[in-house]
Order: sequence, then C-alpha cells, then structure tokens
Amino acid sequence: MTTHPSNAARLTKDIVGSEYFVLFLCLAVFLAFAPFTPGFASRGNVANVLVACLPLLVLATGQTLVLITAGIDLSVTAVIGLGSVVGSLVMGGDAGWLRGSPLATPMAVAAMLGTGALVGCLNGLCIAWLRMPAFMVTLTSMMFCSGLAVWLARQAVHAESIYNLPPAFLALGHPGGLGALLVALAVLVAHLLLTRTLVGRWFYAVGHNPRASLVSGVPVAGVIVGAYVLSGLFASMASILLTARLETGSPNHGKTLLLDVIGAAVIGGTSLFGGKGRVLWSVYGVLFLTLLGNGLNLVNVSDFLITIIKGGVILIAALLDVWRSRIVRGS
Amino acid sequence: MSPSTASTDLPASIREPVVEFVDIQKSFFGVPVLKGVSFRVEGGRILGLVGENGAGKSTLMNLLGGNLQPDAGELRVEGRRYAPRDPKDARASGIAFVHQELNLFSNLSLADNLFLSDFPLVEPRRARFPPPEAPGGQNRGHAPQRALESKSGWRRRLRLPWIDRQTLHARATELLQQVGLDYPPQTLVERLSTGERQLVEIAKALSADARVIILDEPTTSLSFRECERLFALMNRLRSRGLALIYISHALGDILRLCDDLVVLRDGEKVGGGTAVEFNHERLVSMMVGRQLSQLYPNRIQPSAGNSVRSDADGTDLNPPPAEPSTPVLEVRSVSRPGAVRDVSFSLAAGEVLGVAGLMGAGRSELARILFGLDPHASGEIRLLGRRLEGNPRQRIRRGIAFLTEDRRHEGLCLEASVAENMALVTLARHCRTPVRWLDSAGIGSAVRRMREAVRLSPTVLESQSVRTLSGGNQQKVVLGKWLLAEPRVLILDEPTRGIDVGAKFEIYQLIHHRADQGAGILLISSEIEELMGICDRILVMCQGAIAGEFQRPEFDRERILAVALHPSKQ
Amino acid sequence: MSARPRHWIQSLLDSAPAALFAVVLIVFGLWSDRFLTVANLTQILNQSAATAIVATGMTFVLLTAGVDLSVGAVMFVGAGLAGKMALAGQPLALCLCVMAGVGLLIGALNALLITRLKLVAFIATLATLYIGRGTGRWITQTRAINLPDAFLALGSARWLGVPLPLWIAGLVILSAHLVLSNTPFGRQIYALGNNPEAARKAGLRTHQLLAAVYVICGFCAGLGGILALAQLGAVSPKFGELYEFDAITAAVLGGTSLFGGRGRVFPGTVLGAVLLKSIFNGLVIVQADPYLYPLITSGIVFLAVLLDSARQWIRAGS
Repeated sequence: MTTHPSNAARLTKDIVGSEYFVLFLCLAVFLAFAPFTPGFASRGNVANVLVACLPLLVLATGQTLVLITAGIDLSVTAVIGLGSVVGSLVMGGDAGWLRGSPLATPMAVAAMLGTGALVGCLNGLCIAWLRMPAFMVTLTSMMFCSGLAVWLARQAVHAESIYNLPPAFLALGHPGGLGALLVALAVLVAHLLLTRTLVGRWFYAVGHNPRASLVSGVPVAGVIVGAYVLSGLFASMASILLTARLETGSPNHGKTLLLDVIGAAVIGGTSLFGGKGRVLWSVYGVLFLTLLGNGLNLVNVSDFLITIIKGGVILIAALLDVWRSRIVRGS
Repeated sequence: MSPSTASTDLPASIREPVVEFVDIQKSFFGVPVLKGVSFRVEGGRILGLVGENGAGKSTLMNLLGGNLQPDAGELRVEGRRYAPRDPKDARASGIAFVHQELNLFSNLSLADNLFLSDFPLVEPRRARFPPPEAPGGQNRGHAPQRALESKSGWRRRLRLPWIDRQTLHARATELLQQVGLDYPPQTLVERLSTGERQLVEIAKALSADARVIILDEPTTSLSFRECERLFALMNRLRSRGLALIYISHALGDILRLCDDLVVLRDGEKVGGGTAVEFNHERLVSMMVGRQLSQLYPNRIQPSAGNSVRSDADGTDLNPPPAEPSTPVLEVRSVSRPGAVRDVSFSLAAGEVLGVAGLMGAGRSELARILFGLDPHASGEIRLLGRRLEGNPRQRIRRGIAFLTEDRRHEGLCLEASVAENMALVTLARHCRTPVRWLDSAGIGSAVRRMREAVRLSPTVLESQSVRTLSGGNQQKVVLGKWLLAEPRVLILDEPTRGIDVGAKFEIYQLIHHRADQGAGILLISSEIEELMGICDRILVMCQGAIAGEFQRPEFDRERILAVALHPSKQ
Repeated sequence: MSARPRHWIQSLLDSAPAALFAVVLIVFGLWSDRFLTVANLTQILNQSAATAIVATGMTFVLLTAGVDLSVGAVMFVGAGLAGKMALAGQPLALCLCVMAGVGLLIGALNALLITRLKLVAFIATLATLYIGRGTGRWITQTRAINLPDAFLALGSARWLGVPLPLWIAGLVILSAHLVLSNTPFGRQIYALGNNPEAARKAGLRTHQLLAAVYVICGFCAGLGGILALAQLGAVSPKFGELYEFDAITAAVLGGTSLFGGRGRVFPGTVLGAVLLKSIFNGLVIVQADPYLYPLITSGIVFLAVLLDSARQWIRAGS
C-alpha cells in the first residue's frame, strides 16, 4: 500500500510475465551478437540456425510432453545413438542386413522409430507400473542404451561408426527435405495434442496430481507410458535427422544434447514439477539456445568453454523460472 | 509447569493471562484477515476458538506460533511483549503448536521425534560442578545425567554434539507416560495409529516445557475412543495449569471441553466469554452472523426412494429413474481381508443412505472397493442389475461417482484451475472422435452451468487455481465435477469435513437435489447428527461388517453410537 | 492384521543386498579359482575404498531426498588441479588439500544453488557437473597427466599391514556412521528427508542442514578423488566420469532410499560399494567383454532402484 509500482516496474513485470518473454530474449541475443560477428545476421546463417535447431526442437518437444506429466526423460540422447546404430545396421553399406535393397531406407526408418518407441515404452512401464522414480529409470536406460549401441556397433563392424548409408536415407537430412517437413509436422501435432485434445488435458491432469486423476477416471498409467513412448519416438526422429545429416551411423550422435534439451524446455517455462508447459514455449527455448550456441561458435569460443556455458545456461534457465514466478506473483 | 497452578483459584479479574492478544491486525495482499482482535488466554483453562473457515483462526494461531508476524498490534506472553520471528522463538517462549496435519517423522523413533530440535547431549567434564539451576527444581533431566557421570568419561572431555541416549530414553519414557502412551521410546513412529501420533505431538509440546498448547482441529482423523483419550489428556493438562487453545468445527466437543470461548467472524472477535454462557444455537448464529433457522435442509420425504421428481422448472436431464423395485446399487456379501467383511446392502434410486461408524470401521475401504480403487476378494456388486467391474474409469462410465475424504490429494489438482478441475471427469463427453478433439465452448458452458448449480462463491474466477479457494469452495468444485457426470450412484466420503456451517448447508441441498433426480447416494460421515439430518436410512459399520440398520423414524444418536461401539448390544 | 506377510517381504527385501553379495561371491568363486583368494579380496576392498567414500557422501544427500550428480566432476577438477600443481613441483600434502578443498568449494556452490536460489537438486548438480567437466578439461587442456610416483606410493602404502586407502575409507565411514546415528545433526537429516515441511515447522534449520549435506558430499568426492588418483597414478580426460552412478548405485544397493529419510552408511552403503566392485573385479577375472560392462552396470542400477521402489510400495501399503 505504501509502494506504488512505477511504470518501469510494471513494464518489467509485463515483459517478464509475458508468454513471449523467451522470444524477447532471443531478440536480445540476436542483437547482442550481430554487431560483433559479421556473418551472424546473414540470411545464410539464419537459415543455418533454423535447420540446425531441428533435432533439438524435436527432442525438446518430446521432453516437454514428459515434463508436463511430472516426469523426465534422460534417455533421449542415448536413444539417438542406439537408433542411429540400429538403423545403420539395417541399411548400412558395410554391414547392413538389407544393404542395396529398395526396402532398406523405409525399413531402417521403421527400425529406428521402433527402437525409440520400445525404449520409451519400457521406461514408461517401469515408471507407471513399477512406480520407480523417472529420473533414475531413464538415467539407467540412458546408460544401457548407449552401452548397447557401442556394443552392437563393435559386434557388427568392429568400430563405432558405420558409413555408406543409402542416398535415399541421406536425402532425409537435406535442409528443407522430407525429414525437416516431417519434424515440423510432428511438433505441430504435439502442440495440437496438448492444447486441443482430451489426451492433452489428461497429460496436464496427471502432471498436477496423479492420484486425483486416477480417481477422476483418467487412465494415468496409459498417459505416462504414452508420454515416454512419444518422447522415444521423437528422439528417434532426431536420430534419423542427425544420422542422415552426418552421413554416418554412430553411437555418439546427440551425446552432447542432453543439457540443451532440458535447458530448452526449462528456459521456455515448462515446469520440472509437472502440469505446466507448452510445446510452443519449448520452441522459443530451442531458438534461444541455438542462437546462443551459434553466436558463441562464430566468435570462436573453445569447446570446454562451451561446455561450461551450457552448464551455466541451464542454471540461468532454472533461476529464471524461479525469478519469473516470483516477479509475476508480485512479492 | 508450576508457575500458574496457584493462580487458577483466584477470581477472574486478578488472574494473570498467559497470553494476551492486543488489537492484532494482519492483511494478506492488501486484504485484511484480522481486523484488531483482542483477547486473553489463561493458565489452567481451555480456550475454544471457533469461527467459520476464513474467519482468521488459523492466521491468529500462526501469529502466536511464530509462522507469521502481525502488521499491527501486540502479543504478550506473561505480561511481556512477545514478537516471535520463527517457530523456534515461539517454542523458546513456551508456546507449542499441534498442527492439524501431524508433523512427525515416521522414519524416526519416538524419542528422536520428541527431542529432535533439542537433543540431550553428553555434558563435558566440568559438569561435575553442580549445575546452577539444579536446586531450583526446574531441572530438565540433569539428575539421570549426573548418575551416568562415572561411565564413558573420555567422551566428556571433548565437547561433542553427541546424543546422550540414556538421558534421551529416560526423558522420553517419562513424557510418553504423561500422555498415556505405553511404548518403548525406540519404537518407530510409523507403527503408531493416527490417534497415538496426536498424543506424541502433545508429548512433544510438553518436552519443550510449553505453557501454552495450541491444538488445531486435532480430532478430524481420530476415532471416537481416541478422541476420548485426547480429551482426558487435555483435562489433565488443564489441571496442571497449562493454557490450551482448542480449535475445532465440532461444536459439541467445544462446548463440552472448553472453559472459555472466543468466536471469530471475518477477522473480528464477535463474541467471547465463559463456555456456560453459550449453547449450540447461539454459537452457530454468532459464527454465521445470522440466525440459521436450521442446520439441515428439509426434503419432501420420498418413502425410501420411490417417488422421484424432476426439478421445479421441469428440466430433467436424466433418463427416467429405475423402477423402485430395482435398486440402483446392490452389494452382495463383499469381503476384503483386513478391510470389510461380508457386506451386503442395496441402494434405491433417490435414496440417501448414510454409513455411520468409527474410524477404521471399514467405511472408506468399502467405498474404495465399490469404486474400483481397491479389489475385493469375494462377493458381487451390481449397478442397475448389471455386474459392476473394472477400474474406476470403467465404473465412472457406468454411472458411479466417488468424492473421497482426502480432498487435497485425491479430489483436486490444486494447481489447476477451477474450470479444469470441474471438467476433468466429463471431458470425454465433449470430444469428437477419432482424435478426441475437445469442444472447448461446450466444456465452458457446462462448467458455467455447474458453478451456478453448486453456488460457487461469485468472486471465484474459473481460471483461478483451486489452491487459493477456501475449503468449502474447493469441496463444491469437487462435487461439481462429479455432478457434471450425472452419476446414478454418488458415494460421498466425509463431504463436509473441515467445512463451515454455511457451505455445509449448501452441500446438503446439492446432495438432496441429486437424489431427487434419481441417483442413489451413499453418504459416509463421522458426524451422526449430519447423517440423521439428511439421510433416509443409516447403516452402521463396525470392524468391517454392517452391524446395524436404522430407518428414518428410528434414528437415535445414542443407539447408533452404541451399535458402532458394541455391535453385539443392539 | 495383514501386517505379518508384509513384514516378511520387507525383511526379505532388506536382506537382498547381502544375499546378492553372497550370490556374487559364490558365482565368481566357482567360475574362477583366482577370485576367492585373500589377495584378490583385499584388492576388491582396496578398489572399493574410493567408491565407498564418494557413496558415503552421496548417502547424506540421498537421505534428504536430493541427489548430487556433480561428484565425478568434482573428482576431475580436483585431480586436474592437483596434477598440474604436482607437475609444477608443489608438495604432495598441498595437492591433496587442494583436492579436498575443490570438493568443499563445489559442494558449497551446489548448496548455494539449492538452498538460496531454490533450484531442484538434480538440475543444479547437473549444471555443476557440466561446468566442472568443462573446467577440468580446461585445466588439463584435454590431455592425460602422469603424476609423480609419490601419488602411487600413497595408494600402496600400508600401516599395520592394512593398505592406507582402507584406513582412510574406514575413518570416513566410521565418522559418517557415528554422525548420522548419534548426533543431533544426523538425526535431523533423517527428519528433513522424511518430511521437509514438518522439519521446517519443527524449527530445524533446514537450509543449513541441506547446505551441510551437499558440502559433505563434495568433500567426500574430493577425498574419493584422492584415493582414485592414488590407484590410477594418472589423470585422464575421462577421470571420474560416471562416478556419480557408482556412488548412487552403491548407496541405493545398500538400502538407502531415493525417496529420502532411509538408509545407513554402515553396513548399507559400504556393502553396496563392495558388492559393486566385486562384480567388476569378477568380470575382469573371468575376462568378460569390456563393452558389456555398461550394460551390466545399468542392469545392477536398475535392480537397486527396483528394490528401493519395492520397499516403497510395501511402506505405502502398510
């Protein structure tokens, strides 16, 4: 009563509380880098950024679905590696089971998607039925999947990388190719699923309170398993994109993305406690992180510094979430 | 414990108050919650603090307990100004708070729980000099400690934060005896029943040498016997000169137990005095601020569920009710080991069937079995003549609804909005296949219709998170959620627990209204008056079995209670 | 009424780690006659020492229902710094103090993030994990550092016939056990893990308790780093990687709950650490495919978490 919020304070509150806050941040990053890095604002680089962010985008979308149900999926990056190896073993030029066959590419894609769905399904079953903590279950499956990927590759080709993938598959990775289109479609579908359908409402309800949801007739176990299956599927889409773009199958694809995935979702405003989040927010988060990474790359920051910065970014993201909710609540 | 024993014999005007509230004011976000409340609490007496939800009782006690600080006004303890910054300050000043939800640690032993923030430590070597406070009789267990001195002397030379187990157990045993708990102090709290845990909380208060003990709704989850045990203990503490502040919605207990009463309404003290000046009606009218002509709504009595009318304006949304001869719900010798034994009854359309019994008699367990949350070992449940099976989801589709006793954990998504909560059960009715696209306009209008029907407070926004609502409004949201599903059988487990008088009346009306529309209502309640007020028939459960049945003309509080206590004596 | 069968299952679950340990000893003992020798068993204990210390620190954190993912990074940063200093000719004692000090420092940073800035433990320590590994790679310039022999001598030194690492581990375990079971601080940690809200209302200094727990965990990770370094004699860019898994697995295998408030350092966590190392030792002795190790580790972690969850169901059901 004694303090009158000034206009500046109100403006801060409006900006910080806005749904588009992270978009403003993206703009700020863009403006901050543009004067120092000559190539940053070029059309080529912007297109580059947009294409480069697709794997992260699809991963973050899957993660958002899981986070909304108050879970977490740390296995996604390992699913990328495992999917990459499995797919390459199906179609690869050196050791593939279907090498040279016209069916190679569709079968490989199916195998990769199936791998993701299977891992997700197992995660979900452990969490929903065996009531194990999501964080430990997916950490374990991360270890298992990446170990399995290396072991499979070693068994098949005595090396970690599998080359000579069919051109039809590599075409999926072209900027503006079918792969990119499908990913964009998948993200849109996830967005609509959450905002417009019954299942979406169930996701939020389970995230808010699984017990009350069960009593209210929500198929809680189904929703949880579904969230992890979707997350696994989305991870294998990222795997398809990365494998095609890098033209090799390797267990190491996507290994560095884990922090970015969670960071993007959290920066966007999705809560780690469940019940709060949107696919669109995660899209903004992905855009922000990609711009930041791209900018740092262009100013020649060393590899270990980027690791440190990424650690810092997730801290800031989490802090931002605490700070935003405090400011918006007005205390 | 000795300071105020003598003063109880003195006339009221001279008696020294232990705690004084002087013109206390407190606002939250600019909304005044306490508007200058003043009263005094005396040693050797029990003060009952009553008022509807939101009247400011909890805020007042949180101020005293150090959880909150007043905006204006002063608290005094034994005449001195008292401004606690946190619960620790309050405890140091001799004020103990026994919360509604128990604050015990189930993984620790009784002794650890009692002395968690004040463990007796092994004293250093210099303890051989007589401690200065020992002769005054105020020593807190130093005597047994000195007896130990010859043992483990090497430890004493070091000043270690080392728990003195023997002293700890000796003092814990003594405290447990004082509250009448006969367990060794090493027992883990998770082995105790709710009522016993309540007693441990009080022992904890005594361990801190409390002069004032605040009990906030201690009886909500206690059985009849556990309540009696608690009240006996409170009387003993009173006679030892302690001041007790007792908060409860059970006005009968308040009038029986308390010496003084303070009535709060909308943050103001609207009445007070010795308990003999009050009776039930006066208390209620003071709390509500108007003369409540009745506590329970009248219902034009259908003869046990055969005349079912539609609304006054003729809007009957339901299919015509079942024939009176076919009951909506039939339960045939349902059993679940350890929970219910051979329960059979039938529920007719339009009937309000009450289930009375003590805590642990198997009432909630029965409800959970009927709703499919728990399995049953044998027996059969039929809804409208067809077997009722499957998980809650399948049963909800068949037309069963269940308002659980645990509103916060099983009834509501607290962070979600009013609209989201209300629509949750019936979302499937507003979707278009094959992708289950939601019709948000349809949902919106259904929620608006229902919030009118359940008379949700008009200041509540539909986008507001339900955490911010009062208990009564929260319960109306849960009830609205189930009423939207238009259930054929509505099971209500303690629907009015912790809810103020005005909201209770409205909930009773809603229950009757639903029954009039042809639903069978199964109402579980621990308040026998409530069951007698709104039910057509009452079943009494005892030790998992149905021990008695009463038709409306035979309702009698004493007889129902007798059956609930001793089934054989019916 | 139905408490008895549950109680029976409970005690079965509680004795699962010991039973598993017996099974491991028997299986590998039958498989290879080099496994159950005094020399090899001492070797197993020696190898377990570092893990046991780190897992002891982790037990403190897990008791508060938190988690510390940064322990491996703490070891790496400390080892990198100590290695550089040792190469620059600094005395051994100073290097060791620096390693422990790095543990305290990163532990304090975690504590700050979690108690002051109110971040979720798992996110905060995930971030310090990345920051730590980045810093470590910067210190070592992503190259392996071979340490002076004094470090290796530390690992093989004996006193009264018992290797020095075992003395250190024994000391840490004993003090941790006594602190947890017999000081107000220890009992309050259990209370905090069981019900943080109630602990706050009971007037416990929850922030200090929580902060202390992360500092202790960081310190233990620093100590564990010293022992691990003394055994390896070199700092590779992968030093300490995935140590957090070993620590969590050892603690959870030993009966510490991820849900907080339950667990003991001795025998629980220690048994878990020894069990884990016995399995790896046995795998090496029977010459299993090294690429299978991650699969086996994750299988064991899974089993440990499953056992913990099963205990939790029983508790919730009773």
